[in-house]
Amino acid sequence: MIRIDSLTKIYDTGSIQVEALKKINLEIGKGEFVAIMGPSGSGKSTLMNVLGCLDRPSGGLYRLDGEKIEELNDVQLAAIRNKKIGFVFQSFNLLPRMSALKNVELPMMYAGISPKIRTERAEAALERVGLGDRMHHRSNELSGGQRQRVAIARSLVNDPAIILADEPTGNLDTKSGNEIMGIFQQLNEEGSTVILVTHEAEIAAYAKRIVAFRDGEIVEDRLVEERIVIVSES
Amino acid sequence: MNFIESVKVAINAIWVNKMRSLLTMLGIIIGISSVIAVVAIGQGSQSAIGKEFEQFGVNRAFMSTNWQETPTDRDYFTHGDVDAIKEAFSDRLAAISPSLQDSGKIVSKKELQNISLNGVNEIYNKIETIEMMDGRFLMEGDMKAKREVVVIDEKTALEVFGRTNVLGERILVQMRYRNLSLVIVGLYKTPKVPFSNVANFEQPSNIYIPLTTMEKILGIGDRVYGIELNLEKDTNVQDTLKEIVKLVERRHGNVGKNKYRTYTAEGELEMVNKITGIMTGVIGAIAAISLFVGGIGVMNIMLVSVTERTREIGIRKAIGARHKDILMQFLVEAVIISVIGGIIGTVLGIGFSLLISMFIKIPPGVSISTIMIAWLFSAGVGIFFGIYPANKAAKLDPIEALRYE
Repeated sequence: MIRIDSLTKIYDTGSIQVEALKKINLEIGKGEFVAIMGPSGSGKSTLMNVLGCLDRPSGGLYRLDGEKIEELNDVQLAAIRNKKIGFVFQSFNLLPRMSALKNVELPMMYAGISPKIRTERAEAALERVGLGDRMHHRSNELSGGQRQRVAIARSLVNDPAIILADEPTGNLDTKSGNEIMGIFQQLNEEGSTVILVTHEAEIAAYAKRIVAFRDGEIVEDRLVEERIVIVSES
Repeated sequence: MNFIESVKVAINAIWVNKMRSLLTMLGIIIGISSVIAVVAIGQGSQSAIGKEFEQFGVNRAFMSTNWQETPTDRDYFTHGDVDAIKEAFSDRLAAISPSLQDSGKIVSKKELQNISLNGVNEIYNKIETIEMMDGRFLMEGDMKAKREVVVIDEKTALEVFGRTNVLGERILVQMRYRNLSLVIVGLYKTPKVPFSNVANFEQPSNIYIPLTTMEKILGIGDRVYGIELNLEKDTNVQDTLKEIVKLVERRHGNVGKNKYRTYTAEGELEMVNKITGIMTGVIGAIAAISLFVGGIGVMNIMLVSVTERTREIGIRKAIGARHKDILMQFLVEAVIISVIGGIIGTVLGIGFSLLISMFIKIPPGVSISTIMIAWLFSAGVGIFFGIYPANKAAKLDPIEALRYE
């Protein structure tokens, strides 16, 4: 699904060059649930941006679902973000003043899917994250946990190759956080590839594999031994 | 994202910020409404003036001696000149009449009425449009017998007699040297003068008596002060007049001395059109500047809007919006604001022009083309002033935009 070969990312701030990623090699297969861990400044956010095609690598190769990402132009990258990647952010990043349903429809709108199918698929995605009864609420009328569910539903609708979650529980209380992680586990069980970026070991413990970063390099890549598993109630 | 989606998104964004959108539109509204009002009043008065001249007669002309060149006795027109013109230009002349004017006062019940006394021949009604209501116009017999008869207008009849069945009655006209008692043989409809309400001045009514009678009263020999002409349709008025002047000049031996002047409805109309055109242009330009300022207002608000919605732009880009999607979204928003402003402005502009026309009594000339141009212009303003902010939005880096608080 994902293959990264000697990937580097250098930030040129003019006077000094900061090497955020130093020749990273990483492979993530289909159906994996990977937690990328590390303290702030370790390079995990940079990797997240590159994996999410929001940023280009300075060097190295990046294959996502067979696409040579480093060779694509901005328009093609936008299409990749639209179809192959589902983002879940720490601060939800929903459009306020818009209903949950409309928010979930948004990626399909940019994909050029007809309004009728859009609504059907958005409704199905919201049902899937347990928000079937809140579809027409505006996003700023929902609780944090509910908002993050909407964001997850939004990340799912175009049936992406990977779901990229950047500190998805960072703005949530423990209970909501656990529920959200349960949803990710459930999605993973259903076949989705989930990549989780976090600095909390407890959250990483929901994943199946942990890739730890420090100073722009991978320092550890292991399977999770004592995995927390939320038993899905639905 | 297709165009209709962009429009929906834009309308939603405008609706969410109702007050701000309205204030933004205000510049466009004021600009468009003033342009429409100015152009409507300008075109309205032009067509009113045009109508007035049409009433006067488009192919009509008047010749007189040029007083600035101090004409001597041998320069004045004679009846012989009139006959010669009639003969030489018979193919192009519809009618020709010497004319002699003097002012006088009609004695009425209440007070003396100023009138303009016109000595003309029997075919003068083929030169000026005189709509008879009762009786007849002057006849050849009146001319030959130098009868003391008169054709008056309805207004004068009402003022003097308080009624319109006045045929056969006598009116008393005071002139500088003597008084006349004239028998009314005809009554004509008083023509409407468009600007009489604006300027609020009373033009004295024209009453017509036989030229020969007038010449006898004033004691004029074979001298003609003015010649009224009506040319056939599709005649080149200016060229024909030049030829006529040449003929007269040859007869008087004063070729090239500039002793005669000609006036045409066409020429006067052109001049008036030029003046109203310039006025409309100047005021229109000022209005256009206000539209331009309105456009800058649109750009200003769109820039604020882009900054305010940086995060939204980041989100949209992260989930797959392309450069052109964002560009389109903001551009469409700017255009919609401008066009809605344009529509409101058009309605207000028409309202203003109707209001103004109520005071100056000129129907406004609002044409579809003016409205179309105004709307296209407002859409153009939206595109022109929207493109920079929209492009700024489209070029935002998604990572930076997502980080923006």
